[in-house]
Amino acid sequence: MIREKRVIVVLAGILVLIGFLVFSLKPDNQVDFATEVKPILNKHCISCHGGVKKNGGFSVLYESEAMGATESGKPAIIPGSARKSELIQRLHHTDPELQMPYQKPALSSKEIKILTDWIDQGAEWGPHWAYLPVEKTELPKVATVFEEKDFIANPIDHFIAARMEEKQLSPNPPANKNIIARRLAFDITGLPPDTNLFQSFVSGEISYENYIDSLFTATTYGEKWASWWLDLARYADTMGFEKDPGRTIWQYRDWVIKALNRDLPYDQFTIEQLAGDLLPEPSFDQLIATAFHRNTMNNDEGGTDDEEYRVAAVIDRVNTTFDVWQSTTMSCVQCHSHPYDPFRHKEYYNVMAFFNNTRDEDFPDESPNLIDYKPEERQKINSVLDWVSAHANADEQKIFKDFILFKEPNYAAHHFKVIDNGFVSGLNLGLRKGGAAFIKNVNPLGYQKLYLKFVGKTDRSTLVFRKNGINGEIIGKFKISKKEKNSYGDRQGQIITSIDIVKETEVFDLYVELQTQDQTFKKEHVLIHWIAFMPELPAKGKPGYTAVRKNLNEVLNIKGDVTPIMVENPDHMKRKTHVFDRGNWMVKTEEVQPGVPQTLNPWEKRWENNRLGFAQWLVDKKNPLTARTLVNRVWHQIFGKGLVDTLEDMGTMSDPPSHPALMDWLSYEFMHSMNWSLKKLIKTLLMSSTYRQSSFLSKEKLAVDGNNDYYSVGPKLRLSAEEIRDQALYVSGLLSDKMYGPGVMPPQPDGIWEHAYLGNLWKTSEGEDRYRRGIYTYLKRTSPYPSMITFDAGSREVCLVKRSPTNTPLQALVTMNDPVYLEAAMAFAKNYKNKEAKVAISHIYQKATYRTPDQDKLSSLYELYQEAKNTFEKNPNQLEDFFGMDQETDIKTATLAIIANAIMNLDEFLTHG
Amino acid sequence: MDKIKELLEERRSLDAQLNSRRHFLKDCTLGLGGLALGSFLNSCSTGGTKIPAYTADRSLNPMASMPAPFLPKVKSVIYLHMVGAPSQLELFDYKPELAKLHNQPCPPSLLDSKKFAFIQGVPNMLGPQATFKREGESGNWVSNHLPHFKKIIDEVAFLKAVHTDQFNHGPAQMLMHTGSPRNGRPSIGSWVTYGLGSENNNLPGFVVLTSGGTPDAGKSIWGSGFLPSVYQGVHCRSKGDPVLYLKDPKGVSRGLKKKILESINEINFKEYQNFGDPEVLTRINQYEMAYRMQISVPEVMNIDKEPDAIKEMYGVQPGKEAFANNCLLARKMVEQGVRFVQLYDWGWDSHGASPTEALDTGFLKKCKATDRPIAALILDLKQRGLLDQTLVVWGGEFGRTPMWENRLGIQNSPGRDHQGDAFTMWMAGGGIKKGAVHGKTDEIGYGGIEGRVSVYDIQATILHLLGFDHEQFTYDFQGRPFRLTDVEGKVINEILA
Repeated sequence: MIREKRVIVVLAGILVLIGFLVFSLKPDNQVDFATEVKPILNKHCISCHGGVKKNGGFSVLYESEAMGATESGKPAIIPGSARKSELIQRLHHTDPELQMPYQKPALSSKEIKILTDWIDQGAEWGPHWAYLPVEKTELPKVATVFEEKDFIANPIDHFIAARMEEKQLSPNPPANKNIIARRLAFDITGLPPDTNLFQSFVSGEISYENYIDSLFTATTYGEKWASWWLDLARYADTMGFEKDPGRTIWQYRDWVIKALNRDLPYDQFTIEQLAGDLLPEPSFDQLIATAFHRNTMNNDEGGTDDEEYRVAAVIDRVNTTFDVWQSTTMSCVQCHSHPYDPFRHKEYYNVMAFFNNTRDEDFPDESPNLIDYKPEERQKINSVLDWVSAHANADEQKIFKDFILFKEPNYAAHHFKVIDNGFVSGLNLGLRKGGAAFIKNVNPLGYQKLYLKFVGKTDRSTLVFRKNGINGEIIGKFKISKKEKNSYGDRQGQIITSIDIVKETEVFDLYVELQTQDQTFKKEHVLIHWIAFMPELPAKGKPGYTAVRKNLNEVLNIKGDVTPIMVENPDHMKRKTHVFDRGNWMVKTEEVQPGVPQTLNPWEKRWENNRLGFAQWLVDKKNPLTARTLVNRVWHQIFGKGLVDTLEDMGTMSDPPSHPALMDWLSYEFMHSMNWSLKKLIKTLLMSSTYRQSSFLSKEKLAVDGNNDYYSVGPKLRLSAEEIRDQALYVSGLLSDKMYGPGVMPPQPDGIWEHAYLGNLWKTSEGEDRYRRGIYTYLKRTSPYPSMITFDAGSREVCLVKRSPTNTPLQALVTMNDPVYLEAAMAFAKNYKNKEAKVAISHIYQKATYRTPDQDKLSSLYELYQEAKNTFEKNPNQLEDFFGMDQETDIKTATLAIIANAIMNLDEFLTHG
Repeated sequence: MDKIKELLEERRSLDAQLNSRRHFLKDCTLGLGGLALGSFLNSCSTGGTKIPAYTADRSLNPMASMPAPFLPKVKSVIYLHMVGAPSQLELFDYKPELAKLHNQPCPPSLLDSKKFAFIQGVPNMLGPQATFKREGESGNWVSNHLPHFKKIIDEVAFLKAVHTDQFNHGPAQMLMHTGSPRNGRPSIGSWVTYGLGSENNNLPGFVVLTSGGTPDAGKSIWGSGFLPSVYQGVHCRSKGDPVLYLKDPKGVSRGLKKKILESINEINFKEYQNFGDPEVLTRINQYEMAYRMQISVPEVMNIDKEPDAIKEMYGVQPGKEAFANNCLLARKMVEQGVRFVQLYDWGWDSHGASPTEALDTGFLKKCKATDRPIAALILDLKQRGLLDQTLVVWGGEFGRTPMWENRLGIQNSPGRDHQGDAFTMWMAGGGIKKGAVHGKTDEIGYGGIEGRVSVYDIQATILHLLGFDHEQFTYDFQGRPFRLTDVEGKVINEILA
């Protein structure tokens, strides 16, 4: 006690000294706008005097508005004279009609004094802290008491200690080695530690840092952190909306895991996902990375307007990009200028213009899709590309390459308008006898090949293509053949083929008519998915041409694993972007060009004015939000809360950072000394003493730092949905370490997928696929894996920045009764059934929790053991089909399974330390 | 287990000291704290409703019942959603003029500047496929397809000119239930249980019952969006476990389960003593609740014990997934204090592209399967004195066109396409003006000409009856307050008593 008191006295002395220093360093007592004034304006004024409501013609959103004339004709702020400023007068007013804030509690005298001093000192304006560039930050000095306690392990601790000192808090001692070892393993790999690695750390054979480094080399690291990123990327295995059909996009998930494991620097990680397709000569992986923004939903419900949902997807991309990289709620600006943050309505559409020119159009096949060709298929492709390169040029080679890889650019069926006896529905333009349709403004670029993807349903009909009218000049004819489809063996009979057409260099309206001798009026003759114009394969007639031509036809019709990707529109297909009046896509107003919000870092001329340039702007070191956002979210992953607690938002209305200097120090170092390395950033957090503290929460500390705002207690987080399941499989020896590939379907109760009219059913995976890590579980958006949802995972329909951990009875039901956990408990029990009961219980507990049970816990479990044993001895019939495992179980195994089941429901099992 | 009470007391006193939570209530400005802690930490909220805070109860049990900010008219809601959008023209909106236009080509003026889901080319008009009669003291119209409805027609207030701007099922259902056609917002049941909790902690506070299949919009339609996941709807199923993983594993008797639970809670309590994390106490409480739920949910889901007369009244089909069963379950649930019971009955998408969805076949089956149970539900609630404290809402996600569907340019069985400009909904129960009719459509039921109300108005009215001002009932997320009705919504006073 005496010692503690002395510490407090010393601390108090230090505080007085610091206070004096701070005061004396600021002789003029200058008020700081960003940290003192703006928070008051944001808290009390901006909701009525901001971007949407500008009551009285006064707004505190922009400097020009705050200092400009109000409705009264006079400015509300007169720099240099608080007395003359109406802003201050109104704060003092006694008339409730005039007093501000209107019909709300008055400001405190301290707040009024800050505003008064600020105006008297000249009312200097400045940006919100988060929009200031990230500067190099010096480490604060640390009181010796923290050094004495050996708390300062790395720079993070300087900042944490400085704040703890203000509150006269002292840190917790380090957590026990076994606890921290498990905590680290979960934070790095999402799994409990390997027993050998655990032992060598606990025994002191390897250091704390070596232990961390070993965990980082495991590929399980990428699997763990991918969950976090895939929430942001809204990754799922289905398209969403009503039909919610399957989507093959798992190669993107695998790309994320691999990128994390090879520690692809975050700037490059960003660029490849947002604009990998625009990089010079993009690799297959870089194209797959662009699937980030193809995780938007695709609406296949009958009768939906594809353009409406294309626009919805683009809007989602803009919002998600700002949610993910900028902690900025751009979605607010869709309908009007931002109510609180300095982003203008038009700027939303400037940004949208970067994203509005990709080829995807909510078409049911999700085109453009990248095919993962097999090596022998790649050879054929290369033969075509080499030929084009040898006989034409690089530009033409690119045209062929793109067309082979993802069949773009094409005009999809939904662009057709039906004139007679036909329909446009889903993938198809269907034509019956005499049916006709047209597309306005096609541009054939002078190419003389017209490609079609179609399904032929008869052999006696011909498609006639005409120019500018139903009776216009014929530019080409195509005889429909049912036979042709069989040569490529496709189930749906879709094939891609081409016809010769007349050379046209101008834009025209393309008409198509179905001519037939058939007399049936209602019969469909052809379904057209898309048409495209291509140059002829060059060097016709040269030796080798026929073989290459054959190869081209073949490779165009290869079916393989596809992944939807981003592909930019060619110039002749570029869309214009308009401001949507009040966010309504049907009401377009002013046309806008690509551009970035003025509040943020300036645009550099060296960047191309496209998505790639935008991505480079985003990861420019001058961007104030990218590094801060990432640092804040990684911090949240490790400590369970952000340095800015409003994880989604760093704007005007966000919480101020609890440790602003630390936030900036980490952000700066992340970009510079760590060179955007995620692994280095995570490691820096884990190396701190702040992280290593015990999570013991004394009543005294609970009273002063119950929310752990000062980090005087180590993190103890509930494990994530994936981690809880993976852990159960891991400790019981069931977990498969197989990586990658299509989503798997572990057991789930019957009747979870019950789509009213689509037959796609949950097919429980066989073999080790039943026991894969949660990251590989097939995620159907309208019906996600139930136990994951119960533990707060999302349905991935939209970007999820933060999972809010909850604690509910339904979770207890999962870990107590879900067959997945029962199977794990059984497997667990079997591993120990030959041991003496008490030893077995103790071992199961240790294996599960990496702790030695204390006597109380052990006797409690032993009591349960006895009770279970008695029950089963009295009622042996309970052991038939025990736990629904389809087999008879012996008493020992069953009893231990009960123990394992109980242990897997303990707080020490469900939390990380 | 006796220790539990002691624990809870300890937890309460702790909370009273602290006013803060580590996991569940840790987010002052954007979590529940903005609401629940409102009165303690009044700087938390940026303008949300100041609901009296029952902090301690909420931290221990996020479903703890809380009083509404304003005097409520009802305690519970039963929402009957006819998934697929029933035709107003064959049920309630009587249009004799339309009969005269039957099978005549649709005038182009009705097609211009309209967007349809399926109509292509020029369809013919389709007269009402029903006969209509005035019923009850109110003399309101109802079609011959709903013979039982006349028994309750005087309890009901009709909204004849509801409109929506969504004409595809998924988005329209999302809009109806979450206030946004896109995913990501909490459903109305989540809002309500977040705001009011539930009166029976042994049952889920927000229950979803389905018949015929899952709604087109998927499970997000009862999702909790940005609210904590504890407020998402719990789908109580007719087959298998009524609530997932509710049943004890094979070979585990109730007695043994009790013992398992005691051990878990004992050890967890020990852990609490060792590490002091108050969240552990919450966990103990959740395990207690789970144990009780295992008994009370199967009980409430069991209709076998109901008297034969009641079963007969609803026309239940024991052992099957049936709308009639769900209506009876809904009554049982509100009787036991469940806050929000959401029924979805799939199969009302009467396009006429095939007989199952034609107005002369599939549609009639749907009418038959729902008419009697709905009448029974209202009458049963009434005879138990529950109707005054329950709000029953009936509707689809949009309406149907007065023309043939003409899908792919061909006229099939009689059926209508989607239309958002005018459709009928009704409400009954506490605070509702009995026998009222609000809103009127044009001569062919194609658009509202009087008393048009939006989806947001419906939501605002439901919240109003539960004691909320929909403009004040907000949740801070992404730096701004969100509300169910976005920036719209007006309480429909015309149908309030």
